[in-house]
Amino acid sequence: MKTFLLFVLLMFIAMLVIVMAVILGDAGAWYFAWLVGTAMIVLIAAAGGVMLDAQDERRAQASKGSAGNA
Amino acid sequence: MHDMNVVDLSRLQFALTALYHFLFVPLTLGMTFMLAAMETVYVITGREIYKRITQFWGKLFLINFALGVATGLTMEFEFGTNWSFYSSFVGDIFGAPLAIEGLMAFFLESTFVGLMTFGWDRLRPGQHLAVTYLVALGSNLSALWILIANSFMQLPEGAHFNPATMRMELTSLSDLIFSHDAQAKFVHTSIAGYVTAAVFVAGVSAWYLLKNRHTDLARRSFRMAVLFGVLATAGVITLGDALGFVGAQAQPTKLAAMEGLWKTEPAPMPFNLIAFPSQKYQTNYGEIQVPYALSLLVTHSLTGNVPGVDELEQDATQRIRDGIPAVSALKTLSANPGDPDALAQFHAHEKDLGYGFLVQRYAPDVTVATDDQIATAARDAIPQVAPVFWSFRLMVALGLAMLAYFVLAVIYTMRNIVERKRWFLVIAVWMIPVPFIACEMGWVVAELGRQPWTVFGVLPTWMSASTHSVGYMIFSLIGFVTLYTIFIIVEMYLMVRAIRRGPDDGHDAHSPHTSQAARLAGYAEG
Repeated sequence: MKTFLLFVLLMFIAMLVIVMAVILGDAGAWYFAWLVGTAMIVLIAAAGGVMLDAQDERRAQASKGSAGNA
Repeated sequence: MHDMNVVDLSRLQFALTALYHFLFVPLTLGMTFMLAAMETVYVITGREIYKRITQFWGKLFLINFALGVATGLTMEFEFGTNWSFYSSFVGDIFGAPLAIEGLMAFFLESTFVGLMTFGWDRLRPGQHLAVTYLVALGSNLSALWILIANSFMQLPEGAHFNPATMRMELTSLSDLIFSHDAQAKFVHTSIAGYVTAAVFVAGVSAWYLLKNRHTDLARRSFRMAVLFGVLATAGVITLGDALGFVGAQAQPTKLAAMEGLWKTEPAPMPFNLIAFPSQKYQTNYGEIQVPYALSLLVTHSLTGNVPGVDELEQDATQRIRDGIPAVSALKTLSANPGDPDALAQFHAHEKDLGYGFLVQRYAPDVTVATDDQIATAARDAIPQVAPVFWSFRLMVALGLAMLAYFVLAVIYTMRNIVERKRWFLVIAVWMIPVPFIACEMGWVVAELGRQPWTVFGVLPTWMSASTHSVGYMIFSLIGFVTLYTIFIIVEMYLMVRAIRRGPDDGHDAHSPHTSQAARLAGYAEG
């Protein structure tokens, strides 16, 4: 039931976002661009942080592996 | 009759308070979304290092936010104290977005900034993240409403002048909110704030990397900041072009000043890369031009034409002549509001009412204005070219420099070699003031280029000021400058102190050559 309610809530939010996108995209294209652009900038910056951790992790494993081989 | 010294001092006072205030604003606009990005990583990965990163940058954000609020509050009062005629003339329109800003956006950001600061131990991570996003949304909505108000001054849409009340009145709130100038200005300005925050975070992180302190925090912050920054800078340049495109239609005089364009030339028009404009002789000295570029930049075509000062002055002369009957009809209507002839005369010429006001500065009785007075008023319709021209070029040059810097920074950080590029880290530290200067230059272009109007084409600046004494203006100006200079010194001191101390994490500071242990500090706690 909890999952179902969460699903309904997220669907409602998605509908709301679509309606807002239609309204804003029509009347305020630049405002819509700002919303989409900001979301993209924030998420790519966040992904960059996660990627740095992943690169460090890989390097750590690689150095562990080479130490083991030695 | 207005004392022009008082008008000039009022302008200087507002310019200085606005420029001081705007030293704090861009960092707030961008920092909130940077914090949101950092905290998003914390909530998604659960790694404690990102919580520390968010808390540390949040502390610097808070110092800046507090001073931004302190310097911003006085500006709204200044409209009433120093620009009382302006306030009564367009207050019905101008006041609406400012009131909405205070009640909606400012309350939102101010309420949630407290929760963001003190709620770390009281809210669940997801809840706290939502709060951080609300602060970001609030601060940027705050900018939205302020810029909607400013855009009305640049492109007065959604309002008309009512001769019965002798004031401008709002006819359409949606026209005001969705005006092209408001939209383009908001996205350009808010994303300029993102660039500022990115340069600031990257610069401070670079300083830590140079000092070999808090490298776990600095490497991650630097990576996130430069990715944030490269996208924002690309955006701010593109959106700046869009704003120029909109502005070209809304304010051709500003565009002519920005481009040092004294004469209308056949398309395709060259772009003045460097020139030394002379207002007196209406010519440029030492021009270095790029062929065809102006038509391409401004009209997005090779056949597009941009009107020069000569053409715009002729147009202003004609509009002043057309505006004179509107001003004289208004005088009649102020004595006898029901006069049908005066009303008919007013409506026939009302679109040029503002231009009629321009000549009233030289001829209080506009009906007897001479050709010389009209010509002088028409010359006034062109803003001071040299400061607008050079401010614009400096802003663009700094924008392009930041793009180059961020592209290089992304290459180095993605290859994980940024710590070895000491020279580049030094550049990153020295880059910190660059976006602040660019933002200030942007405002100089926007506001100085709008002259001689407070509301473009409607209300001249000379009419807008209050009737204070020169002594009062000098006294208050000195007071403001002193107070705000103290604010800036305080901010610099608090910021530098907080940066020197670093995050309160009990981790120390010095790391032996970014060792593996330091690199993985985040995992130890995560």
